[in-house]
Amino acid sequence: MLNNIIIDGLSFALPLLIIAIGGIYSERSGITNLALEGLLGFGAFCGGLFMAFFSSHFAAANVPVYLSLLIASIGGTIYAALFATLCIVFKANQVISGVVINILSVALTGFLTRQINQNFFNQPSDKFQIGVFPRTSIPVLKDIPVLGGFFNNFYLFEVIILILLAITWYLLYKTRFGMHLRACGDNPQSVDAAGIDVNKVRFKAVLISGALSGIGGMCFAYSISANFSPTIYMGAGFLAIAALIFGNWRIMPTFVACLIFGFARSAGNEIGKAMQLSSSFFDLTMTLPYVLTLLLLIFFSDTNRAPRALGEIYDKGKR
Amino acid sequence: MENNLKTKNPLLRLLGGTKYQFISIPIFAIICSLIVSAIIILIVGQNPLMAYKGLLQGAGVLSKNQYAAYQGQITDFMETLDKMTPMLFASLAVAIAMQAGLFNIGVSGQMLISGFIATIVIGYSREMSPILAKPLVAVIGVIVGALAGGLIGFLKIKFNINEVVSSIMLNYIFQYVISFFINTKYVDPVTRQSRNIGANARLTLMQVEIADFKMRIPIFFIVAILIAIVMYFFMKRTDHGLEISAIGFNRDAARYAGINVKRRTLYVMLISGGLAGLAGVTYYLGYQPSILPKSLSSIGFDSIAVSLLGSNNPLGIIFSSFLITVIDRGATYMRSAAGVEQEIAALMSGIILLFSAMGTYMKQKFSDLLIRNRRR
Repeated sequence: MLNNIIIDGLSFALPLLIIAIGGIYSERSGITNLALEGLLGFGAFCGGLFMAFFSSHFAAANVPVYLSLLIASIGGTIYAALFATLCIVFKANQVISGVVINILSVALTGFLTRQINQNFFNQPSDKFQIGVFPRTSIPVLKDIPVLGGFFNNFYLFEVIILILLAITWYLLYKTRFGMHLRACGDNPQSVDAAGIDVNKVRFKAVLISGALSGIGGMCFAYSISANFSPTIYMGAGFLAIAALIFGNWRIMPTFVACLIFGFARSAGNEIGKAMQLSSSFFDLTMTLPYVLTLLLLIFFSDTNRAPRALGEIYDKGKR
Repeated sequence: MENNLKTKNPLLRLLGGTKYQFISIPIFAIICSLIVSAIIILIVGQNPLMAYKGLLQGAGVLSKNQYAAYQGQITDFMETLDKMTPMLFASLAVAIAMQAGLFNIGVSGQMLISGFIATIVIGYSREMSPILAKPLVAVIGVIVGALAGGLIGFLKIKFNINEVVSSIMLNYIFQYVISFFINTKYVDPVTRQSRNIGANARLTLMQVEIADFKMRIPIFFIVAILIAIVMYFFMKRTDHGLEISAIGFNRDAARYAGINVKRRTLYVMLISGGLAGLAGVTYYLGYQPSILPKSLSSIGFDSIAVSLLGSNNPLGIIFSSFLITVIDRGATYMRSAAGVEQEIAALMSGIILLFSAMGTYMKQKFSDLLIRNRRR
């Protein structure tokens, strides 16, 4: 049972983490990102589309699966460019843009999936079959008591996400670009004074957030249902926002928040199963991340600090 | 001064003049999106004009070629109005908060909890007289919605929690907790939704026979229109309304001007939540008789965009909510009449919203163009 809690918890927490990191990039640069839900859905749609057309054209079965993550990430980036154009070029309100991008994403992917299934595969369906992602175990480590679950039967995308975690952490905290990005969220005027184009940095940050959300969306599509369908819009994007606020807009605390959310979810399910409670019981454990975040905000609203210029449209003339 | 703008381009004068921009820019956005949607429909190999006609026919704005017994254009139209009622209330809820610079994206959650409480308190007491039950449903909706909205306002002024964040969290908490109660206590085992409420409590009269037609009558449609009109005058003509706009314009300046910003914030969220509550009861105890567990209605999110399309003006919102509802309602018929997948309707609304999100930018750009044009 403990094994199951760890396995399911990780396979939920890590895709959530990569989406939340996308959110952190965008929000630390000063762009409020409520569009994560739409970005992850569009990314997963692109990955699903790729699998529907090309999965049978590869000799090695695993190649298209990894490629689909790449395609999902590109798709997320392209769709994020639309969001960035709205917020940065057209100076639209960021919260409204986020909501509009989400609504459009649900509509667009729903329409395209149905139309493509109709035209190319001649079947009325709103799903793309994408198969399953390979899982693996590490031989000796998986037999360690208690902790063995971390090395047992995990999806290989979890490894990819951990690698991305290291890269994105380094990029945000240890490079010049990352410093500029964080400065754009706290004091864009000073970044401008240093001769750096604030809007360009923010645009890049939103694109990164799209790329990461796309990967996260595709991982959810693989781990939850083995197909792409509108059920991908189950609120993971908003849960990621809860996680990054819980993590105070920093990557490592957000990682912890995602693990808490993931394990609370899987533990709730397992305990419910063990005690033979009805499935309605899960509804109560599902509220846990949101209640926790809200309580944290109530009790620690002084220490919890959003980027200072978050949500503000950058205006050169303003000081 | 506007009258001195002499330019040869009447279109530019209309789009650039600040006086009529609140109406000309949304119409421009709608036309742009109709063109983009038409291109998409052409690409999938259908006739866009037929699709648009099907949309209007399905929503009862145009007459279909044939109808079943007791059915007619009027029955379709009444059903459209029935669906528009919650949309209008929800959009007004968003608009009044937006006017004060607050984003109430918790409308869906407020709708759900007020609909749920009204359902279990009044909806299942079948022996209550309709004269008593219907107003009580509305009152409970307003109170529960106002409390839920007020909670968000309270968290904001007391703990400085951003209303967008707390609304999202509360949306999910309401959704799952209510789903738990429905599934354990109020579920209909066949439909997997909450048990239908009694006709005595339902805010939509069903199957009313008028001149050979059996139609729906949404009782609260007129109320929604009246509230929109009252709200228009409240916002434009009263001290309270103008103070709210002042807060939305600049919080700090409003505070220096002696407005009690915290008190007004709470008060606006109470009103906004109350309106969302009305949207909830007209949706869950009106347009439909039951609640689907574990889902939020999309109305709460669409209303943000509807309010945007209506330039946050209560009278404009009457038209924008009608338009979005027509597109939504006409989709099913369009599919059978014009052979276009009904998902195109959601896509059309999405594109309209995309263009209206650019409204502020377009206003600025057209005004600049107009001024430059005049100098020449």
